[in-house]
Formats: sequence, structure tokens, C-alpha cells
Amino acid sequence: MSILDLTISEIHQALVNKTTTPVELVKEALARAKANNDNAFEILIEEQAIKEAEALGEPEVDNPFWGIPFVLKDNFSTKGIETTASSNILNGYIPLFDATVYAKLKKKKAILIGKTTLDELAMGGTGTTGHKGTTFNPWDPKHERLVGGSSCGSAACVSAGIVPFAMGSDTGDSVRKPASYAGLVGFKPSWGRISRYGLFPFAPSLDHVAYFTRDVKDAALLLDVLAGRDLHDATSSLEPVERYEEDLSAPLKGKKIAVIDDIVQTISDQKIQLAFKRSCEELAKQGAIIEHIRFGEDLLQSIYATYIVISCSEATSNDANLDGIKFGPFYPGKTYQEVMFNARTKGFSELIKRRFVIGSFSLMSENQDILFRRAQKNRRKIVNRLNEILAKVDAIYVPAAPSVAPKIVSSSYKLSDEYLIADNHLALGNFGGLPSITLPLMLEDGLPVGVNLTGAAFEEKKLLSLAAGLERITGLANLSVLNKKEGNL
Amino acid sequence: MKEITLDVLHDAATRLLFDMSDEEYQTLFEEFKILTKQMETIGRIQGLDELEPMTFPFDCGNSYLREDVAEEPLPREEALANAGSVQDNEIKLPKVVG
Amino acid sequence: MNFEAVIGLEIHVEMKTKSKMFSAAPNSFSREPNTEIALLDMAYPGTMPIVNKQAVINAIRVANALHMTIDHELHFDRKNYFYSDLPKGFQITQQFRPIGRDGYLEVLGRDGKKKRIEIERIHMEEDTCKQLHFMDYTLLDYNRAGVPLVEIVSRPDIRNGTEAMHYVEAIRNIVLYSGTSDGKMEEGSLRCDVNISLRPYGSDAFGTKVEIKNINSLKNIEQALDYEIERQSASLLNGTPIQQETRRFDEASGKTVLMRVKTSAVDYKYFPEPNIVPIPLSDEFVNQAIATCPELYDAKKERYLAKGLNEADASIILSDIAMSRYFEKALPLVKNAKTLANFLIVEVNGYLNKNAIGIAEFPLDEASMAEISNLQDDGFTHKQCADIFNYCLANKVSPKEASSALQIEKQVVDEGAVLQAVNAVLDANPQSVADFKAGKDRAKGFLVGQVMKASHGKLNPAAVSKVMDEELKKR
Repeated sequence: MSILDLTISEIHQALVNKTTTPVELVKEALARAKANNDNAFEILIEEQAIKEAEALGEPEVDNPFWGIPFVLKDNFSTKGIETTASSNILNGYIPLFDATVYAKLKKKKAILIGKTTLDELAMGGTGTTGHKGTTFNPWDPKHERLVGGSSCGSAACVSAGIVPFAMGSDTGDSVRKPASYAGLVGFKPSWGRISRYGLFPFAPSLDHVAYFTRDVKDAALLLDVLAGRDLHDATSSLEPVERYEEDLSAPLKGKKIAVIDDIVQTISDQKIQLAFKRSCEELAKQGAIIEHIRFGEDLLQSIYATYIVISCSEATSNDANLDGIKFGPFYPGKTYQEVMFNARTKGFSELIKRRFVIGSFSLMSENQDILFRRAQKNRRKIVNRLNEILAKVDAIYVPAAPSVAPKIVSSSYKLSDEYLIADNHLALGNFGGLPSITLPLMLEDGLPVGVNLTGAAFEEKKLLSLAAGLERITGLANLSVLNKKEGNL
Repeated sequence: MKEITLDVLHDAATRLLFDMSDEEYQTLFEEFKILTKQMETIGRIQGLDELEPMTFPFDCGNSYLREDVAEEPLPREEALANAGSVQDNEIKLPKVVG
Repeated sequence: MNFEAVIGLEIHVEMKTKSKMFSAAPNSFSREPNTEIALLDMAYPGTMPIVNKQAVINAIRVANALHMTIDHELHFDRKNYFYSDLPKGFQITQQFRPIGRDGYLEVLGRDGKKKRIEIERIHMEEDTCKQLHFMDYTLLDYNRAGVPLVEIVSRPDIRNGTEAMHYVEAIRNIVLYSGTSDGKMEEGSLRCDVNISLRPYGSDAFGTKVEIKNINSLKNIEQALDYEIERQSASLLNGTPIQQETRRFDEASGKTVLMRVKTSAVDYKYFPEPNIVPIPLSDEFVNQAIATCPELYDAKKERYLAKGLNEADASIILSDIAMSRYFEKALPLVKNAKTLANFLIVEVNGYLNKNAIGIAEFPLDEASMAEISNLQDDGFTHKQCADIFNYCLANKVSPKEASSALQIEKQVVDEGAVLQAVNAVLDANPQSVADFKAGKDRAKGFLVGQVMKASHGKLNPAAVSKVMDEELKKR
């Protein structure tokens, strides 16, 4: 096993001990990236990464990110580095500024080695709709399975062992769902906890900066660095930033955990059911109090339509700036409308266009009451229910997905007539802006599947403490394709 | 609500300044049927209409006003560097009428 | 049949803040295109709006001056539409909760009576980029994109062009004197769109609305509306219905001309801006904004009148905010405000016009101006003081240096000396006295002239004239 296969905190020790150097790490990460064939990268940043690694002096003992290679989903603005959000409409766009999260990681001397693929403009959950095509699940060498999206490339990079952490974004479940399929920790802190400045918007009221790591401790360390007020983002929170790794070894005794039965029951995969049940028993054995509750089936069934209407409405407005005039490919025309029409017709894929029409239609003044505003009202209904539950317990605990990573042929990005509750429930965390973390539960025929914990807003520290406890139960910390494990469940 | 027909969808797409293939309009038409049915169901959720529409997930209490201080503007060459049609330091479009 | 005009006004005012509404780009009206841009102004992906505090303070001040109810929580919304001058594809505005609601202004109507015009709302928003149109292409300058605006929307209470003009004038004075804007209609920093429809007197229904856009002077508002009322009346009288359309005012012909016929209304798909969480405004913040508002036009005028200026003088000085500033700086130094005002209105304005400069470039400082004004109130004639004024400007010297160079001496106003001189002349000119008594008023002028001549111009003519009147009565 290479040092690159360790967690961030372990690699940090190796760097401090000079068992390895940033240059060695970066070169190995780049070599792995080049050897990888999961279609995870929009762009590799070789020269700059090696230069940055070479320029680092003595290891910084108190800075766990010193010299650590990482990747960014290609919807984070990076000055001087082409950023397309995997959409043809942004081909060739070279941003003039760094997203706040990138600036913070740069300042900590973490080293960006590449930018990763996503579902076009982060709108999608399959990792199949970006302009570079499908990103594959590293756990399936036959390339039959998707890794999930929209943060598909970032998920693939961490589970393939290329980097120990990767930045993504999560509007419905775009980090926490792929984390389940890729056997990773996927964490989305509270809305406003991490600045969104420089994150290409999909639906700002639901968008969160989120990320993949290979254990809970790394997720906590990363939040230490990324959390905080940003004067460029008026929605970023003033809540004090904590030392999120402090309580990770706290016992589970007395912690109250709510299991939402009407989500769990919709899962048909018996192996997942069984492992999930065992994990609950283990939690109880360690003194946690498991409460089985029902969320309300009508509300659970309403999640997807509510999510589609709100997110598409916001998206159609956010992406109105993409017209080929200021940036992105310019297409001539006889009128300015024709110029914009050509750029948008050629630049967006058909899925995105359908989503925009849905959003635009929902916002029309004659439709708002029964589409957009109704969805917003229902969002409040759902969030009220969530907060009612979270007032009584420390976290909500459910499987993160109904199955292991699906096969690509069976995946669809069309709206479905069925209520796929177990596939859609992670959006609850986005509706409420709640901290929510996915971590691996088990492997089923060599493919991982995850569980999810969601806590009250700004209670990241408590949530991470619970997640660490659960991680001890599953025995699947630091899982990757290069570091396969059996787990305890 | 406006009745959804292929023409309505076509018009909505045109207003968004793009076109789609005929097949996609058909898919979209089917998607709308599903979506409006589900939204109708949501409309029957008890007590929904008494609720205020929610834009922000919680009361943020973190808003502030920016002091009115001008910062260094973008260098012009940089500001225009990504534009595909530039003339005399300005973005050039076909003549805009009306 | 007679028609009543129903007129509503939408006024957009560009604020002269240091930075833009939602970005920190400078807002200094640079003429060099695309040199005052921040990332947000070109809608680069991932940029976010941050509200400018001064813009909010300005909006509160204007709302207060318009007697409006001020919302103590700021909310912003998106107005979605595509246009070449709109970088984001939406404009951030305040559709659902404007910062001010339900105000009014009192303006002079055509009959000279005060009339109350109700104001529906005032809200903040951002400007679009500027388009320069050429023969077969258009250039885009993003300097103006994001400049803070307030929009003030009246209720349809206005009935004719004169009222409309006075209403806009009053608003211009408010935004100008509150420091919100330079309020220049010609340069587009105050833009006025008018909605006008006609209906038979006594009717409550509204006729078809015509919009007149971008009228660029106060006088043109009056003209445009009065023309449009006539045009629509004539049209209705000969049975041609009014069509819903947008017109513009053509200055050369004094007429409104058709720009475009309105088709279906645009649906702006308004929804709350998700990147700006509601901003509570404390009572303290709102009160402070109001308390620190610079003195407004009406208050200044009242103060000037109390200092002895007449309505016309006060209006002339207040018609130029720089002039009023100059006036107020000199004011504490003078014995008589009216004398100072006369100098500004006649001599100073004359000099400015002749040299085609503004008061800002006027070379004489306020203290020197006050000194000259005081000389007149100390007994020098206006003519003498005007000579000193001109000498100062011509030779760049102080009033003291000027008066000694001109060897100007104060005229005698002492009643005893004047009386003696007057009686001496009356005694020497019995024929003229007789002529005066016989009704020849000109004789008095001759007699005064004789006194002045005898005293070599050292007696004060006003004093001489006054004593002359008295003494002639006695004879």
C-alpha cells in the first residue's frame, strides 16, 4: 500500500516524518490519474501541481493539508484554469477568480491536481450527462456501473485512490448519493456553513459545497479549513467555526437516533435491509437510543416533484447568463437573439433544456401558485417535519441509497412515474439546509453501499461524532478500490 | 394553470432562447404529465396553503450590508478576454433594435 | 365630449454611490468603456450579489422625503428576461417587498393650487449595461451594469403635463438634495417613463394605456403629455380607438412618435433572489439614515425665505445645488442675505455665463464674496461693489486690494451733511423747485444730479434722494 492510500491525517504524519514528500505524492497522484480510465477528469493540472509541490518548504506540523493532493469538481471557479461544468456552453471559459473554497485550500498548501467531470451544470444524478460522457464506477472494472452524480468525477477520483479528498457540490444528493455507490464518506455541512462564492450555481437555495473523504476524521479536518463567513457570499453563516474533530472518539451512549421506517421499508434489497438492521442493533448495543418513526408517506412521496420544481426554477434563472456573449463559445447570428439562441441551442444538452423548460414554466405568473409557490410551501411543510423530529433526537439515520451502484443501461434521467422514495430522500437535507453525511455500510458482492446521518442545522460537530461512532461499527474507514475491506456488517 | 401542449412547450423553449429535437418535446410532454399530477397530489396535502412559501431553509440572521467602498475594477483586457466578439474594447453584437 | 387624462409616472434614478448596487466596482460614470467592471457585473459564474449599504441609506432618505412607509426588512427578487443589455439574464429588484410604500408628494397644479400625488412604491434595483448603436452593429459597455437605481412609481393621480412636470421636478430636487443622485435628465441619471390614458370625465374606468419612454427634460414632460392628451382626444373624438403602444417624444417637432405597438405583456417570472437572505434594518439604522440626510430643497427654501430672500431669488439659487452650497458657505459671513443673493443671481451668474463655467470653477471664494456683499451693506453703492467684484476677478486680487486700487470711498450717508447739500442746491435752483411743484417729476432727477455733482459723488444717492423728497415737500 502506498502512502497515497492513507487518510489525510495519516499522510500528514508521513509528510511530517519525511517518509514522503509533496512532490512524490503529487507525482503519484498524477500517474494514477493518467492510468485511470473511469473518465473522471475534465482537466489534469500537472505542471502547476508539481511546481507548487516543489515550492513547498518545510512541513507544517499543524496543517494537515500541507502538500496533500486533491481535485475540484469542475463547477468551482479556478483562475486561469478552464472551467466548463461539463457543459459545451462553457467550453474554453477561463475564469478570472478562484472560488473561496479553492482559495482556502490553496492557502493551506493543498495541491490541486485536476478538475473532475460532473453531470452537465451539476443537474443530474447519474454521472452520465456531462459533455465528456459517462463517468464509470471504479469498483466495477467492467465499466457497467455508474458512480452516481452529479459529482461523479470527484467520487471516482477518491474511490480509485487518486487523491484522499475531493470537492463536490450537493443540491439534491450530488455528493451523498455517489458516496454511497463509491464507498466513501460524503459530507454536506449546513447551508451557509461553507461559502458558495465561485461555485457555479444550480439552485442556490439548495446548493451546498460538499466533499468526499475516506474517513470521518478527514471530513472533520476539512470542515475546520473550509467553514466560515465569507464577505463574497451574503448567505454564508456567522455561526462560530468549531474544531470539528474534537469529539470524534466520544462514546455513543445516550445518543438518540431516529430511523425513518417509511423510508427504510421501501428498500427491496434484503442484504441492505439486514446490514442496516445490524448496524442499528450495534448502535443500540453501544448505548445509543434508536427510535423508529414515520415521516409521513405523502410528504416522502412529495420530495421529488418538490425538488424538481424548485431546483429547475432557480436553475433556469441562474443559467440565463449562459448566452455565448460574455464567455463561452460565440455563435454569429443576424440578431442578438439569434446569437444567444445559437449558443444555447448548441451549448446545452437536451436534458438540461427540458429541465429549464420545466423551471421556466413553473415560474410563469399564471402557474406559480400551483407549481413554484406550491413547491416552496411544501418545502416548508417538509422542513417543519424534519425540525420537529430533530428537536427530539440527535440525528436521523437511514440507508443512503436503495441499492449498490446501478448498471448504466438501467439508469434513466427522465422523470419517473414511480415514487422512488429511497432514491430521493437525501434531498431532505437540502430542503432543510441540514448537515448530512453518508458513509459506507457494507459491501454487497464487492460493491459498496452507504448509510446517511442527518443532524440539526449547524450541529456538525455532534453529527460527525455520531458518524465516527458508526464508522467504528462498520469497520469501513478508509475504503477504496486500492484498499478493499470486508467490513463488520 | 396553462394547459400543456407541444406548442406551449415549444413556445416556452423559444422564450428561453433554445430549440430541442421533436423527440425531446415529446419526452418533456410526458414528463410534464407526471410532474403536474404529482404537484396536484401535493396540493392536497393538509394545511399546505396556510404555509408561507420557503426560499431559505432557516432564519439566517447573518445578513449584512456592504460598506460603499469601490474596489479596483477588472483590467479591461481581462474582463473581455472570454468574450468571443469584441471590437474597440467593447463586446460587439449584431445591431440591437427596439 | 371632454376627456380626463390619467397619468402615472415611473422614475428611475441612478444613485451616485461610490460602488455599485451589488458589486464593489467603482460607480463613477467613466467615459472609457468597460473600465468599471467587477466580476458580478458581467455575470461570471459563481459570483454573488452583496447589497451596498449607502444605496439602502439613500433609498430610505428618498422614501422618507416622499412620506412613505419604510420596510424594516430588505427583500430582493429576480426579474427574469433575456435582453442584450442584461448580463445575468435577470435583474435583481424588489418586486414583492419594496423598501418604501404608500407615500405622496404635494405639487403645484395648473391652477396654482397644491395637489397631492400619491406614490405607490419605491424600490432598489440595478442598471443594465449601455448599448452603443452603429449602422449595423451594437457595442456593449458594462460600466453602467449594476449601477444602483431607485425606481419611484406614482399612482395614476396626475391629470396634465404641468402637474407631471412639477412632480418630476420635486422628485429631482429630493434626489439631488438628499445626495442620492445628480438627477440629470439630459444625461440619463434621472429617467422618466409615463403611462397615459384618457377617459370621459366622470368615468371610473381606465382607457387604453400608452407609454411614453425616456423623456429627457422637465419642459419636455409637460410638452409631451400635453401633446399626447390632444392627440388621444382627437383620435377618440373621430372614433379611432387608442392602441396599446410605446411612444417617444420628438423634441424637434414637439410631438410624440410611435416606437412600437405592444404585443402580449412580458412575463418576468419574478421570484425571491435566493442569494440574498432577508436583511433586517434596525430602527436605529433607519432613523440614523433619516437624521443624517442632508437638508432637502424645501427646508432650504424655507430657511432662505426666513433670511429675507424672496421666492424667486430662493428658487434661482436652489436651482443649482452647487450655487446653494456656495451661498450657504458665504451666508454666515454676511450682514444681509438678500444682498448676497443679488450678487449671486446677477453678477456671479453673469460671470459664469460669460465664461461658460460652473460655480465650482468660480475663482472668487465665498469669504471674498461675503466681503463685497458686506461693503454694500456698509454704505458703498451697488455700482461701487460691482466694480470691486469685477476688479477682483480681472486682476485676481482681494476685495481690499481692489477697493484701494480703485480708490473707492464710502459715500456719505450722514443726514446732516446730506441735508445741508440738498438745501444748498434747492436754494440755488428755485425754477426747478417750481417745476417739480408744477408736476414735472424730471426736475427732481436734475436736482439730485446737482447735489451729486456738487459733492463730487461722495454723497450716497439713495440718502440724497430720500432727503430731497422730504425737503421738496417742505417748500
